[in-house]
Amino acid sequence: MPPYVLPDKCDGCQGEKAPLCELVCPGNLMVVEKNTGKAVCREPGDCWDCMTCTKSCARQAIQTRIQYQLAFYPGKLIPLVGPRSVTWTLVDCHGNVERFIMRTLAGEEDDEI
Amino acid sequence: MARERVYIDADVLIIGGGTAGCLAAYEARKVGGDDLKIVILEKSFIRNSGALSAGMNALNMYLNQGTPEDLVAYIRYDMCGAPVREDILLSVAELVNETVAMMEKEGLPIKKKADGSYLNRGKWNIEINGSMLKPITANMAIKARARVYNRVYVTDLIKVGDAVAGCVGFGVRDGKMYVARGKVVLVCAGGAAGIWRPRGHGDAHHRIWYYPFNTGGSYAMCKRVGAKMVGFDTRFVPVRTKDTYSATGTLSIGMWAPMVNAKGEAFMEEREEYAKLGGHTAPTPLRVWAYCREMENHRGPCYMDTTRGDPERVEGLKAQYLDMAPCLVLYWACNDINPGREPVEIDAADPSIVGAHAACAGAWTIGTSRMTTVERLFVSGDALGAAPSRFISGTWTCGRLAGRHMVRYLREKQPQLLEISPAEVDALEARIFAPLERYQKCSFYTNGEPVEGVLPQQMEWRMQNIMEEYCGGRSRWFYVNETNLAIARKLVNRLRREQLQYLVAKDTHDLQLAWDVINRLDVCQLVIDHIDYRKETRYPGYVNRTDYPEVDDHNFDCFVTSVWDPETDELQFSKEPYQQIVPGDRKSETV
Repeated sequence: MPPYVLPDKCDGCQGEKAPLCELVCPGNLMVVEKNTGKAVCREPGDCWDCMTCTKSCARQAIQTRIQYQLAFYPGKLIPLVGPRSVTWTLVDCHGNVERFIMRTLAGEEDDEI
Repeated sequence: MARERVYIDADVLIIGGGTAGCLAAYEARKVGGDDLKIVILEKSFIRNSGALSAGMNALNMYLNQGTPEDLVAYIRYDMCGAPVREDILLSVAELVNETVAMMEKEGLPIKKKADGSYLNRGKWNIEINGSMLKPITANMAIKARARVYNRVYVTDLIKVGDAVAGCVGFGVRDGKMYVARGKVVLVCAGGAAGIWRPRGHGDAHHRIWYYPFNTGGSYAMCKRVGAKMVGFDTRFVPVRTKDTYSATGTLSIGMWAPMVNAKGEAFMEEREEYAKLGGHTAPTPLRVWAYCREMENHRGPCYMDTTRGDPERVEGLKAQYLDMAPCLVLYWACNDINPGREPVEIDAADPSIVGAHAACAGAWTIGTSRMTTVERLFVSGDALGAAPSRFISGTWTCGRLAGRHMVRYLREKQPQLLEISPAEVDALEARIFAPLERYQKCSFYTNGEPVEGVLPQQMEWRMQNIMEEYCGGRSRWFYVNETNLAIARKLVNRLRREQLQYLVAKDTHDLQLAWDVINRLDVCQLVIDHIDYRKETRYPGYVNRTDYPEVDDHNFDCFVTSVWDPETDELQFSKEPYQQIVPGDRKSETV
């Protein structure tokens, strides 16, 4: 499920010390292009689909798409990261929506981290 | 062209900030005190890198019952009764529950039963919400105040006399040359993926079971510095969910979904030839072998039959996979698959070379010290050989033990930093950056590709084709014999000896890919020669030798080890005796 960046949402992480997706990608794949100021995955086929960039993006600018050679279009999986949980929205090819709230850290949601 | 250099000196120098490395740093600080200088060199970004990056939904080493000896007996059984380092496994099994309790306190959510005890999955596993496993693990290194250098790719260890003195590498982002020295050095940079041709192509070529950015650096560096290596004849062959190759313990142990063939037979139990090997709980290689055999005999496709599983657990299946393999959940949604109502198709993936999952590749270590046959050089995680099935919780624990042993070594031997000759560093700099330098001198075709050189990706494809076709890839059902191993050896050695001089890299990202293929080719040499040396079939499913299809206890009920000879570029083989510590029949479990 390589990451694809929506140009209207990505702002190149202005104000951050480093663009977040570029900072975190385990494969060194996400780069903010100098001429556009927006992030791009330099080689979608090299991605392991760990979704770290997608979860890290402050503007939800990154969509992960399943490789078309493996599955039909469209369909979406969108994570919304909270302090101690992540809320996943799964939309299948027919538009049916399922939602999952998964714990990520022990403790109460509003505890200080 | 002279590169800017960064010089680093440490007491404890750790290469690889993963499951083992972070906990080694933590433990070294705990037992070594405030003044210890601990450095971690990390190829990627420590908070999210490595095999844990997508998360995991279970810890697969935990004593829910029984004793450490029972767990070791199980691990031995699961490797078909083959020799394993029982001393090392016992040291891990004795400490693993304590480690898990510690990680729970650090924030890891562990699922509980109504009575408050951990929710077990089978005998030796517990269920977790592990999507944040890596940040929680990395935090242990941060707490230990280890100095972490992110985006530093270590290419080589440096030996002075008989001892390792440090390592060199390059900054993936800054392009600088890094020269690091340590009084002790720990290699824990993961196993090796991408040796064989993957099932997916193009944008799915990294949709593989094992983390594709672990490219065998641990093994290649240890080999090149002369450490004794072991276990490269045990390739791990993952039989996993078809197309996404996500872990299947959730289905098999988690809800007792049996493997079934196209006729709906739960073949491990219903077919006599597999039932007598242990049925559903037969050793891992034998279950792989049985699946392959069903497919070869045209009884595929095969599935994990979730409809026969525990209905309560099947209900939460998608949620469980979101903690570990979100791509599988989207795959189901985009293929109209409801895993609670229909069986989940499985397939065998490209083999991986690992030491901490159900396989034995790695460096040979002395006693339970975690030190290799090279003085001051320690290993842990996937880099440590002949001690399989430590998984995540065992690797945390193994890292802790490496930390303790390194501190003990520092106290007992009082080693000092060794002087590395400037001429050697200069030569290593030339070697590290050679693909970049060559690219600068290239002319280019109209599509932008270099006229005078080979791109890392091109050499990777060539290597994967050779390994796939002559070293028993998935399209060959993992069969090998002397004839095709000889071809594989000839072609891989030609790449290693004659073709590396043509590798070119346009930038430091490409330079990383160039070193990935250089390291993978060294792993290929280990794999081909170790498989060839073991003239028997001890782990069917992992390696099937058509020329030696039986077990040969007379010659091979032992560890097969090799040391690389830099003069001849050949491996020198020897055998190490197996020492049984846990009594009893090696081919049966004790609980």
